Amino acid sequence: MLLVLTGTFLANFLASIRIEVLSNKLRERVRATPFSVFRGVFGLLMAFGAARFMWLGWIEDHYSDPIVHFHYWGFGWVEPFSAEILYAIHWVMLLAAFGVMLGTRWLYRLSALTLFLTFTYTELIDLTYYLNHYYYVSIVCALLCIVPSPPSLWDREARIPRWVLVVFKFQIAIVYIYAGLAKINYDWLVLALPLKIWLPAHDTVPVLGPLFAWSVTAYIFSWFGMLYDCLIVFFLLYKPTRIWAYLTVIAFHSLTGLLFQIGIFPLVMMGGTLIFFDFERRPQLALAPKAPVRPRERVLAAVLLLHFAFQLIFPWRYLLYEGNVFWTEQGYRFGWRVMLMEKAGTATFYVKDSQTGREGVVDNREFLNPHQEKQMAMQPDMILQFAHFLGTHYAEKGVQDPQVRAEVYVTLNARPSRLLIDPTVDLMKETDSFRPKTWIVPFENNAENALSQ
Amino acid sequence: MNRRFYSTALLLALLVGFFACEEGETPIQNSFDRGEMLENMAQNLIIPAYTDLQTRVGALESSAESFTQNPDVNSLQSLQAAWEAAYSSWQYANAYNFGPAGEEGIRRSLLEEVGTFPVSEEKIENAITGTANFNDFNRDARGFLAVEYLIFETGNSNATVVEAFASQNRKDFLLGAVADIERRVTEVLSAWNSGYASEFTQNRGTDVGSSTSMLYNEFVKSFESAKNFKLGLPLGRRPGQTQAEPQLVEAWYSGTSTTMLKEHLQAIERIWQGRGGQGQNGPGFREYLQSVEGGAALIEATEAQMTAVKAALEALPDSPPLSEQIQLAPEPADRLHTELQKQTRFYKSDMSSLLGISITFSSGDGD
Repeated sequence: MLLVLTGTFLANFLASIRIEVLSNKLRERVRATPFSVFRGVFGLLMAFGAARFMWLGWIEDHYSDPIVHFHYWGFGWVEPFSAEILYAIHWVMLLAAFGVMLGTRWLYRLSALTLFLTFTYTELIDLTYYLNHYYYVSIVCALLCIVPSPPSLWDREARIPRWVLVVFKFQIAIVYIYAGLAKINYDWLVLALPLKIWLPAHDTVPVLGPLFAWSVTAYIFSWFGMLYDCLIVFFLLYKPTRIWAYLTVIAFHSLTGLLFQIGIFPLVMMGGTLIFFDFERRPQLALAPKAPVRPRERVLAAVLLLHFAFQLIFPWRYLLYEGNVFWTEQGYRFGWRVMLMEKAGTATFYVKDSQTGREGVVDNREFLNPHQEKQMAMQPDMILQFAHFLGTHYAEKGVQDPQVRAEVYVTLNARPSRLLIDPTVDLMKETDSFRPKTWIVPFENNAENALSQ
Repeated sequence: MNRRFYSTALLLALLVGFFACEEGETPIQNSFDRGEMLENMAQNLIIPAYTDLQTRVGALESSAESFTQNPDVNSLQSLQAAWEAAYSSWQYANAYNFGPAGEEGIRRSLLEEVGTFPVSEEKIENAITGTANFNDFNRDARGFLAVEYLIFETGNSNATVVEAFASQNRKDFLLGAVADIERRVTEVLSAWNSGYASEFTQNRGTDVGSSTSMLYNEFVKSFESAKNFKLGLPLGRRPGQTQAEPQLVEAWYSGTSTTMLKEHLQAIERIWQGRGGQGQNGPGFREYLQSVEGGAALIEATEAQMTAVKAALEALPDSPPLSEQIQLAPEPADRLHTELQKQTRFYKSDMSSLLGISITFSSGDGD
């Protein structure tokens, strides 16, 4: 009985969604100005970003100098080219960014595809440098590849389908709201951690600095940050609050830019949120779609639906794992968890010769740059990758059937450091997958952690 | 749904804000003046360390001159004593490889330029017979430990050493090597005395390139090099090593490895405490930690482990030389290595995490 009722309800509910109205609305033709501004600013920043990367010597530091590279799961085959080719790729990326900014038709399309491929390739070289912002940039580049060829940047009368704007707004909404939801946790809201650590460390910032020594400032920032991330998109969508919301965007990202070494990303977000503006005083009427739905559009719609379904669901995968996601980092990445915790570890690797039983201690700096070592020492999948590298390396050096174990002590949000993984496990026998990593010592088993101070 | 959620969240925010303010009646977290710590470090530790080093290197230079003018066992012995004094003094100055002692162009850190070990006997002998150039890449053919090789004989036969110095080339190389150390140390000290000290104390942030970050990084590196290179490698504790390699110890020719290691660890402890050689005690990393979230617990853990390290250090006899102990009875040295290993995390990751010091140019946002 209940089943039948539910069934009827569902059927009625589905019938009540008038998909054609929605699709008509999305296909209406609106002024292109917001999109022109969006791609203009995005392209410019990407060009600047590529130039900056070369200028700072990061091609050598990040890609060609390190002996070891940490791979993304499933992308083990991505290896860096030589420095010369990487420089060439960055120049191509820079030109493609200008193409995205200024191009139309085939030039735009080629540029967008090139920008997506070059940027994503460089990001995939080493997991060490993973940033949610880079992930966002890759997604935006991909979306830019599939939108219809845009009108000239200066054509203020030109029209584009409404969905082009909606897609970017929706992506930005996901970034902010998920970042906000991630901040709703005990440490962030009740203990004001990690801001209680990060703010006093920046008490030399002009004007605001002296306030950072006060713990109440950390509370205000934590709560404001959470509310900002959760709500900003709604205030940007609502016309009467839009301009104030945008001023908040500027203030917020200027502050994070000042506090954290996150490069051009405050600018990327300030530029991205411009898409919420109309840039027109004249009221604009949407024009009806040009033509009936074409098969190509249906394919596009399916792709976008899949993309956003993935975007909405994937960040929640951490719920499938037991334990604290901050500690285990199983399902942590690609979830818009941005500047959320202060975590650091010291990882000591022991390599044992199975024949002689002789065990040696690895000096990580022999193989890793400081950035790699720092990131590796607190993330179980990277620890595993490094262990496998060491096993292979020392096997070549004559160690018989090496067993590799790691003693990893991690501090999370100012708690005393504890063992992150089981130091007796031979990591050579473990492989990385989406299955739970049983060799992680649960956060809750560490008495001091469970008490949460 | 959303709206209700957010209004609840807003209400909660106001409530917590209110409570936080309540708590905030005595709101100032023990605010810590990094400038004061840097001032203490510069005036009571770093500059005195380089000053003392320069004096002793100066003495080493005059001993080397007397020895080369009149090579005999007596003048050799006073040269050896001068070397020991200078190299002990270096242990207190070897952790500050930034600013004037940092890398610049082809010049590497002062530590690499004057403190590289083990030295290459072959390169040194080649340089003696050929032309010595103290600015090339052969850092294992100059510095304190190249001088040590020239003036100490592991077999303890000073007469053989004196004999070898009949060669003018050898004399020239010795004088050149000592003069090179002297020049480099003087360069660093005068930079500190003429402006770098104030640059150092005024750079009060915690980002990469800030004085606190540089000092901290070099502090950790210095600690780790004591553990890895002065103990781990000679003990054969690296993977791939199949046995102990005692000839890899620091100061192998003079057999003073143990003393030097003790001095080095003493220097590390002084940086932690912010205590100068004459006992002047100002703010150091310990005091800095006292002012931050979770700092008290870390200080306690660090100092408990320090006690264990000291006990292991006490148990390491001064003689026979470390290189012999490593072969005959490696247990005390091994134990010290293990205790230092346990100490590492407190310095290496816990401290930077609690203090919020950036150690790399871009922060990963996973941390």
